[in-house]
Amino acid sequence: MSPDGLRARARVLHALRGWFADHGYLEVPTPTVVPTGALEEHLHPLRVEGAFLRTSPELALKRVVAAGLPRIYEIGPCYRGREQGDWHATEFLMLEWYRVGAGLPDLMEEVGELVDVAFTAVGRSSPTPFVRRTVRELFAEDGVDLATATPDELRPGETDWDTAFFARWVDRIEPRFRGALFVEDWPATQSALAQVRTDGPWPVTQRFEAYVDGVELANAFLELTDAPEQRRRFAEANAKRAAAGEAHNPVDEAFVEAVGRMPPTAGIALGVDRLVAVALGERGIACARV
Amino acid sequence: MSTQSAGDIKKGMKLQIDGWPYTVTEAQFVKPGKGQAFQRVKMKNLITGATLDRTYKIVEKVETADISEHEMQYLYNDGEQFHFMNTETFEQIGIDAKVLSDATDWLLEEMMCQVLFFNGKPVNIDLPNFVELQIEYTEPGMKGNTAQGATKTARMTTGAEIQVPLFIDQGEWLRIDTRTGQYVERVKK
Repeated sequence: MSPDGLRARARVLHALRGWFADHGYLEVPTPTVVPTGALEEHLHPLRVEGAFLRTSPELALKRVVAAGLPRIYEIGPCYRGREQGDWHATEFLMLEWYRVGAGLPDLMEEVGELVDVAFTAVGRSSPTPFVRRTVRELFAEDGVDLATATPDELRPGETDWDTAFFARWVDRIEPRFRGALFVEDWPATQSALAQVRTDGPWPVTQRFEAYVDGVELANAFLELTDAPEQRRRFAEANAKRAAAGEAHNPVDEAFVEAVGRMPPTAGIALGVDRLVAVALGERGIACARV
Repeated sequence: MSTQSAGDIKKGMKLQIDGWPYTVTEAQFVKPGKGQAFQRVKMKNLITGATLDRTYKIVEKVETADISEHEMQYLYNDGEQFHFMNTETFEQIGIDAKVLSDATDWLLEEMMCQVLFFNGKPVNIDLPNFVELQIEYTEPGMKGNTAQGATKTARMTTGAEIQVPLFIDQGEWLRIDTRTGQYVERVKK
């Protein structure tokens, strides 16, 4: 915690809310105590009295979209167990927004504006514009073709493809990142809630991540609107969790039903503590947290 | 042999990798939003000084190294080994010259040093940054010659040879930086 960090965070929050108001977004706070835990394989929700603390507001906000509000956002705390480090905290501040009818390029434009807004709010010059790169290009620069690579080629001795992918990612790919970067076309295996595209050389998800100065700031999806497919992916995630010895997470039926009613929508989550720290040029989120 | 989870690796921890002891100089929790957690670890080999970067899955087990450090006083060398005394227990041990490597250049009787033990065996020595040694032999000094940069070789009583300015005389005591092996200044004894 630092007084300057907290002043900067207040200025950034004020500026972000101003931007969303100017662009026709409605702020919608949703519950932090939720009936089901996250259905992603690598998230560890905290339990409270028979319920869970949300790992993100995604399920609730999509129900709001399905209920007929086309531009919404929320800034609020989220909780993830077993995540602590320079850039991670059990409780952190998340910004999520959804826009009906938008594509990923629309969200890229908005992320660029919001990063500018944050840097301006703390009086530093923004590293935008963002450069767009695909995951496969980034791995090709490191000497492997992701479309054909085996787990062992990605990380010697590893047998699980996703594990090998991320091990190499954190080891060799991400440390090279500088400036403002959008990373697109992620492997199809890594998306519980996004659409998949299979018309290219390999199946990829319709999502991108935003990196600024090597820090992962945001993750955007072209949202899945197919309820049966959503149910199938949740079952798959639960099977993976069971195999890893993690608890079974009940499926939020109200959410699955809402997914089927949702119009085509793009959505994105952005770590506010990280945005503040990066705008300040700090090497961790501690400065922006109490 | 004890192990622990990679997720608990902290700066300063001692690990054993491929039979070598390492000290952790940096440990960072990393987790891509959609991926699993890893611990990115930077380490330094306690014997060779080489650095090593490893990324562990948080659930991976790593071996901890049995490392201890003791303050010891240098006593004498018997031609094969250099003998030291633990200043707390008064226990005496002999260390092979090859373990001490270049440190033998600067060892003077009664000098205090830090000796590193790995699995109970001495593996490395940490000398004071500066030592004071006497010149055993050097060409006669040239009084008043302070020509910039001009030096000559001087052999110290420990056998080490260093470069000294031309005005330095045989028998004088010098202050030497053990990290660089360089002459710092003359000292009066």
